[in-house]
Amino acid sequence: MQIKLNHINKIEGHAGFMASVLSGDVKSAKIEVKEGIRLIEGILVGRHYTDMPIVAQRICGICPVVHNLTSIKSIENAMGVRVSNEAVNLRKLLELGQIIHSHCLHLFFLSLADFLDIDNDLKLVEKYPEETQKAIKLREYGMEIVKIIGGRVVHPLTNEVGGFKKVPKIEEVQKLIKQGEEALSTAFEVAEFFKGIKLPRFERETEYVCMDARGEYAIYDGDLISNKGLHIPVLKFEKNFHEFQRPKEVIKRVESDGKTSYMVGAIARVNNHHKKLNPKAKQYLDSLGFSLPDYNPFHNVLYQMVEVVHSIEESLRMLRLLINSNLENALTKKYEVREGSGAAAVEAPRGTLYYHVDIDSKGYVKNVNIISPTAQFLSHLEDDIRKYLPEILNLSDKDKEKKMRAFIRAYDPCISCAVH
Amino acid sequence: MQKQKIAIVSLTSCEGCQFALLDLGQKFLDLMNEVEMVDFRLLEDEEDAGEKLDIGIVEGNPTTEENIETLKKLRERSKFLVVLGNCAAMGGVPEIKNYQEQKNTIKHVYKYVQGIDNPEVKEVDNFVKVDFTFPGCPITGEEFLKYFPELLEGKIPTIPDQPVCVECKKRGNRCLLLDKKPCFGPMIQGGCDAVCPTSKMMCQGCRGLRPTANVKAMRATLKNFMTDEEFENTTEIFGLRDDIEEKNNK
Repeated sequence: MQIKLNHINKIEGHAGFMASVLSGDVKSAKIEVKEGIRLIEGILVGRHYTDMPIVAQRICGICPVVHNLTSIKSIENAMGVRVSNEAVNLRKLLELGQIIHSHCLHLFFLSLADFLDIDNDLKLVEKYPEETQKAIKLREYGMEIVKIIGGRVVHPLTNEVGGFKKVPKIEEVQKLIKQGEEALSTAFEVAEFFKGIKLPRFERETEYVCMDARGEYAIYDGDLISNKGLHIPVLKFEKNFHEFQRPKEVIKRVESDGKTSYMVGAIARVNNHHKKLNPKAKQYLDSLGFSLPDYNPFHNVLYQMVEVVHSIEESLRMLRLLINSNLENALTKKYEVREGSGAAAVEAPRGTLYYHVDIDSKGYVKNVNIISPTAQFLSHLEDDIRKYLPEILNLSDKDKEKKMRAFIRAYDPCISCAVH
Repeated sequence: MQKQKIAIVSLTSCEGCQFALLDLGQKFLDLMNEVEMVDFRLLEDEEDAGEKLDIGIVEGNPTTEENIETLKKLRERSKFLVVLGNCAAMGGVPEIKNYQEQKNTIKHVYKYVQGIDNPEVKEVDNFVKVDFTFPGCPITGEEFLKYFPELLEGKIPTIPDQPVCVECKKRGNRCLLLDKKPCFGPMIQGGCDAVCPTSKMMCQGCRGLRPTANVKAMRATLKNFMTDEEFENTTEIFGLRDDIEEKNNK
């Protein structure tokens, strides 16, 4: 028996799915990536480092912020550039804004309809007008953070190597705080709504990988850890996680020690760091009644909701810090262009994003490697499907297809990021 | 009145232009209520039956065989074909490849290159007739809201021939050129609300040359703070270089 989805809608980018099942055994299960290549790593070679964030963030229209941050951080690490605490805080805020608006898009507009048996979001919007308004309001808070600090939502402008070209005014920060306070109470309502969604059962034990920093729910800095005892600095990323290409595939895959698939993203972060969540997010997580570790990838959707609440709380905490600091300190300071190699990682909405760059003495890029979260979880998704498919074989073809689409979408894959 | 049939299709791109639309939130949903959305993959799962369209909207580069076929089919079934953004209109950042030795570019990325479509990057209008372009990387959502109703009325809008500088001044920005910092604003088509110079980022020309752009004068001004090589490299980022060359040859 063949199960084939020509095109999976409502994900970022173009992909299909194909599986063959023989007397209850899954012989193959494969995400078929149909994205054209853009060769972003290739076109950066020979260009000046200042072009790199501008070009690299255009890998993705949903998560340009995290590409901007990670590319800049890798260049700063390569040239030994240090930035002020204020600049780091503004960057963390950018990433929180990114996580809030990307998660809200996925939660509400890409994934939710799957669990309400609706096939078109315009119908979803009609049936749930209040919830739609609330979801839009939450997204808008995340977008507003990026707009105020970054200058624009899609492809932000202000952040650069050494700091920021422009910093927000105190009044703008105050406005964001007000909007954030409202967003937090809206988030509780949306979160309650999501609690009522029935998610399918499934379980497969796995390795959850994410960043880790002392005293905080790491998104911008830290080492890499896993629930299986991994603990390595970002510099060792490529030693531990092997990126490889299969002939004829435009998407590269990544496997831990070259053999095992692993999972990244909201589900990995919440499982590893639930004790570090902010109070309201923790309270919401507890109310879900999941016993952790939780190995059901459908729950990724609810863990994104947990992270939305956490990120709003965190953004408010950081914005209040900024009010009492001198934001001018975040403006770009003079630095020296130096030859070097640098690696950096940031937690993207979908998981750890990794950049490595080599820069020559004149500031030109010699080599770049970018490893996206979706490339990291692609093999994991296929491994999950191999276990999931036999559990739904009794369903009608149409229902099987629906379940497969829902499963793939719950992962929130970003195919543009993965192919770049 | 019967609602007009619309489709939004994406080729190879970051999909940022579609997100610039979604990011309009309620304003975008309101606009969608006025039309019949036949195909918009980001929001719906239903099969597209391939019916005739009033407006076909396309984002991205046609870089695979499948992309080219999708684009041609969309043109055939649409009264108006409208393109979204810099990739479709000018080649976008992937066009940088055209200025490099292409075979080497792919070798930096892939070990196995056989069976992977890797054509020269070409703008959408090399494949099909384009009726209107929303320029920019990404497009400006507000500009879409401004001109899309005209398209619905069957008219092809005209974006006024004015430089980025007009809006830049309106926003009260200090001119980057006065601070001896490079900016392409004077030769580039306005309509973006000068979003980059407002963030103290030079205009790199993602919206393309304006019809009466004076490239020679621009280069003469920029000679003081940018080498020829830097100028050329910067024009590569948003696919402006080939347009400037074409203009020089005219």
